[in-house]
Amino acid sequence: MATGILLPAGAPFAPEQITSLNGVFGKSNGEQRAWLSGFLAGVVAVAGDVARPAAPPKARVPLTVLFGTESGNGEALAQRARRTAAKLGFAVKLADMADTTPAQMAAVPNLMLIASTWGEGDPPQRAVDFYDALLADDAPRFEKTRFAVLSLGDRAYAQFCEIGKRMDDRIAALGGARIVDRVDCDLDFETTAGSWIESTLDRIAKESTETVMAVEDASAGVGDFAAIETWTRATPFVAEIGEHVRLSGSRSISDTRHLEISLEGSGIAYEPGDALGIVPRNDPALVDAVLKAAGLMGEVSLRDALRDRFDITTLTAKQAADHATLTGTVAPAADWVLGRQVIDLLEAAPYKFSPQQLTTLLRPLPPRYYSIASSRKSVGEEAHLLVAGVRYETHGRQRAGVTSIDLNERRKSGDKLDVFLRPNPHFRLPADPSRPMIMIGPGTGVAPFRGFMQEREAIGARGKNWLVFGHRNFMHDFLYQLEWQDWIKEGLLTRLDVAFSRDQPEKRYVQHTLWESRNELLGWVADGAAIYVCGDMAAMAKDVNDMLTTILGKEQLDKIRRDGRYLRDVY
Amino acid sequence: MNEIRPLSANEGIKIRSNFLRGTIAEGLTIPETGAIADDDQQVTKFHGIYLQDDRDLRAERGRQKMEKAFIFMARMRVPSGILTPAQYLAADKMARERGNGTLRFTTRQTIQFHGILKSNLRPLIQGLHQEMLDTIAACGDVNRNVCAAVVPWLRAGHAAVTKTAEDIANHLLPKSRAWHEIWLGEERVAGGVEEAEPIYGRTYLPRKFKIGVALPPYNDVDAFAQDLSFVAIAEHGKIAGYDVIVGGGMGMTHGERDTYPRAGSIIGFCKPEHVAEVAEMVVTMQRDHGDRSNRKAARLKYTIDRMGLDAFVAGVNARLSVKLENAKGFSFATTGDRLGWSEDETGLHHVTLYIENGRVAGAARDALRDIATLNIGRFIITANQNLTLSDIPAGEKARIAGLLKQHGLDGQPGGLRRNAVACVALPTCGLALAESERFLPSLVTRLEADLAAAGLAEHEITIRMTGCPNGCARPFMSEIGLVGRSPGLYNLYLGGAHDGTRLSKLHAMDVDGDAIVANLKPLFAAYAKEREKNESFGDYVIRAGVVARTDNGLDFHENLSAALTVWPEI
Repeated sequence: MATGILLPAGAPFAPEQITSLNGVFGKSNGEQRAWLSGFLAGVVAVAGDVARPAAPPKARVPLTVLFGTESGNGEALAQRARRTAAKLGFAVKLADMADTTPAQMAAVPNLMLIASTWGEGDPPQRAVDFYDALLADDAPRFEKTRFAVLSLGDRAYAQFCEIGKRMDDRIAALGGARIVDRVDCDLDFETTAGSWIESTLDRIAKESTETVMAVEDASAGVGDFAAIETWTRATPFVAEIGEHVRLSGSRSISDTRHLEISLEGSGIAYEPGDALGIVPRNDPALVDAVLKAAGLMGEVSLRDALRDRFDITTLTAKQAADHATLTGTVAPAADWVLGRQVIDLLEAAPYKFSPQQLTTLLRPLPPRYYSIASSRKSVGEEAHLLVAGVRYETHGRQRAGVTSIDLNERRKSGDKLDVFLRPNPHFRLPADPSRPMIMIGPGTGVAPFRGFMQEREAIGARGKNWLVFGHRNFMHDFLYQLEWQDWIKEGLLTRLDVAFSRDQPEKRYVQHTLWESRNELLGWVADGAAIYVCGDMAAMAKDVNDMLTTILGKEQLDKIRRDGRYLRDVY
Repeated sequence: MNEIRPLSANEGIKIRSNFLRGTIAEGLTIPETGAIADDDQQVTKFHGIYLQDDRDLRAERGRQKMEKAFIFMARMRVPSGILTPAQYLAADKMARERGNGTLRFTTRQTIQFHGILKSNLRPLIQGLHQEMLDTIAACGDVNRNVCAAVVPWLRAGHAAVTKTAEDIANHLLPKSRAWHEIWLGEERVAGGVEEAEPIYGRTYLPRKFKIGVALPPYNDVDAFAQDLSFVAIAEHGKIAGYDVIVGGGMGMTHGERDTYPRAGSIIGFCKPEHVAEVAEMVVTMQRDHGDRSNRKAARLKYTIDRMGLDAFVAGVNARLSVKLENAKGFSFATTGDRLGWSEDETGLHHVTLYIENGRVAGAARDALRDIATLNIGRFIITANQNLTLSDIPAGEKARIAGLLKQHGLDGQPGGLRRNAVACVALPTCGLALAESERFLPSLVTRLEADLAAAGLAEHEITIRMTGCPNGCARPFMSEIGLVGRSPGLYNLYLGGAHDGTRLSKLHAMDVDGDAIVANLKPLFAAYAKEREKNESFGDYVIRAGVVARTDNGLDFHENLSAALTVWPEI
């Protein structure tokens, strides 16, 4: 067989069908195969083999899917909605709150809005302008618009799905007509969001008056659908851990590790700035403690489920209420859950659970995302991670970060790890390799910048690079110190500023070095520099933002943000 | 025939340093490394600052993708070891805020700060300077901190020797403004007067230079271990002048027989008003005749042995306005400190506290800070690494004594421990081959048991340990000397004089703690039984034939016992 493609023996056809098809494919040329693939995609879309609403729309209905995203989940769902709608023949457009205005959205007839809530009831930072404009007194009327809102949030926070609620209320108050009622999603949003997409599209299709559907652009969605979703949280790639070393000095109060994850054979083609999703396992000791507190013996299957599939740490007020109902006790005050975990609830009001009752109470175990600290152009089929072990005490009990402690202390070199890619398209190197970059990444926030530097080194980018790093102690916490030194010697890292908070009587943080270097910073920005910030959101990113506002002025900072030159990956 | 030999690398560094500036100021601002440039590491020594690294952490650093755990040591210049309480408080504060939280009293009567990050060097030095303290010339190829006897109970005598030490220190202080520019940010006067070092010249000395001032019968400054010593001669109740000793020095290198410790030679007498001039001329003789090609042969002791003592003295006399007179003669009794309380003729009280290894940390550190806060008297660091609180009015004595008792600082250790001195060594000293400060206390505990068994618990015997043969703790002048060879192993030297007038001799090589105890235990027992009245342990081991007497540095490697006569290949 000299020619072309052949179906593998395992293809989902009978053996004689495989033989027949090979007879055709084997002799086909590239053009024929391309035509065939497009044709089949169209057939698939029309036939609706993929999930679809009950009745496809009769017409090419205009639809806009608007999202505001922080973690990337909102965008991923918007993409999914767009693909599904496109396959169904909608004339669908995708819009990011970062790049649009309420006035533009008020002009569209059908609007699917996916709104994330971040932190303590805040909009995603890139959506702040849109959100503020929507809530402003002079917001446009939405009387021509029919809309539906999907809100994403995390029940562990008090202001659950707050932004979605407010936008939903606001658009309705501005005259918009709801297509379906708002749906609020917790961390386990996949199924809920999927049915929201379907039911919303279904309702629009049924109610729309437009005619004629087309499928020409449907196939466009098929290819990237496959590529992106090959490995997911549900079907992760089983990677092997290579190097696993502690970077923190033995006297550091931090425990930060460098892990090299082999992606060989996965086809995962990450870009610097992307994150790797990690499917963690709970601490077996905590699993046992939870089972004991629930009055369960813990057969193997239940123990495995609690270890691998359920969130046995995070405690929400809703869970406390459900627990009270189940046990016939009085639910604790809403703020009782603060700083407490599932084990505290179970021990506070002992009850003999059935396995089913326990798993019903628990939420699914969410994956965690770590910024990739490498570039494939430098390390090949590997992703490097920088993981700070999280340990702390609340309410008299030692707590451990589910994923960080799993990665740092329970996984060893040679162990397997379930991973998948989460692209972070809003945190990419400048398209222009000669554009200067200012990278502000204290602590493990420095991870993506190691990837950026590896990439720029590999492609021979000529742009200047300025790193601002900080941590507690120079001596024990200078992550990747020798690598930065090498890049400085090579001339790739143009400037380095450091701030170590515990090395002197007064606390010193990265924003203080920015102030000291403000003249240089103004010069770099004038030369077109892009500013990147990665790391802790609550304190660091806010303080840095305030300092950048002070140095650059709000107007200039807003402008470079709109120009895509002020990018943040904060958590 | 004149052999032309290249200058040592340090000579070039000194010339290029532009009077001790180098590129230190620029190096301090480089954020990615805790170190400074190689050449600057030599130049900072002249500013009292060494680059070191925490050697306990060396093994792990490579794996952690971090450079060595670089830290600096800074050493103050404290002539005679005398500080005001306010100055002591400044030192305490800087140790807490900018160092590793400990203060280290040294055998040169100063305080060292360890574990300083590069970013904290300037703040530390500025914090000291606020109390008029500095670190100038505390290390480097210059005259280092000048020692003086700590004898406050002899009020006039103490005042005289400290005045003498201060005069010498001032006279030999480098004139360069580099220290002020680099550490305090003093503006350099552009196009100003050409800088000059009238005594040192732009290459300073070939090697370090140490001066002490002693007041017999106390030899706490170890006068015979200094490059130059002035020994006060009292006549009619006042100091008539000083006998001059030259060419003492400890440093040697294992396995290099032409390196050796040397006890100083008495060369004459001078009047008090000529001390500074004598010091200058001895220094300039060394400046002009010291070996600048081989740093291991550069100390004054080698210059003297190479020239011959008579020629050297003639050279000094030729430079002096008034020649040295014949030495008057003196005798020492001890090198140790007189621990506990004393009173001078004016009714002021003084108390000398035993500070093990001179390391001040933890509760003792807090207690000394609290005492300093009372702002009473003076804090004087002794050459045995102890601390004397002097000039305490009678009305305050009870309060101070109460605080000392409360914090356990008034303890009187046994005869061996109060005469024990160890250098810093691991983990901070880059030269250390073995532990010293972290090992000697436990070794002394073991030896104390044997001494007690021999009935010698309160008997004064000097024991000194260093982690390397450079000999900062002056082990070659001690009755028992232990010098690190490799981790856990030491050379054992015996036969030094209790009064610090004679060198010791190698007795056993490469012995560990057990072997040290095994070697000494029978000697203690024999000494207890056989000693003559007032015979010191150092004298006894010579009389008993355990080791040969060593008066002359050139004999240091000679007359070893049969088992040691083959010099090992190292």
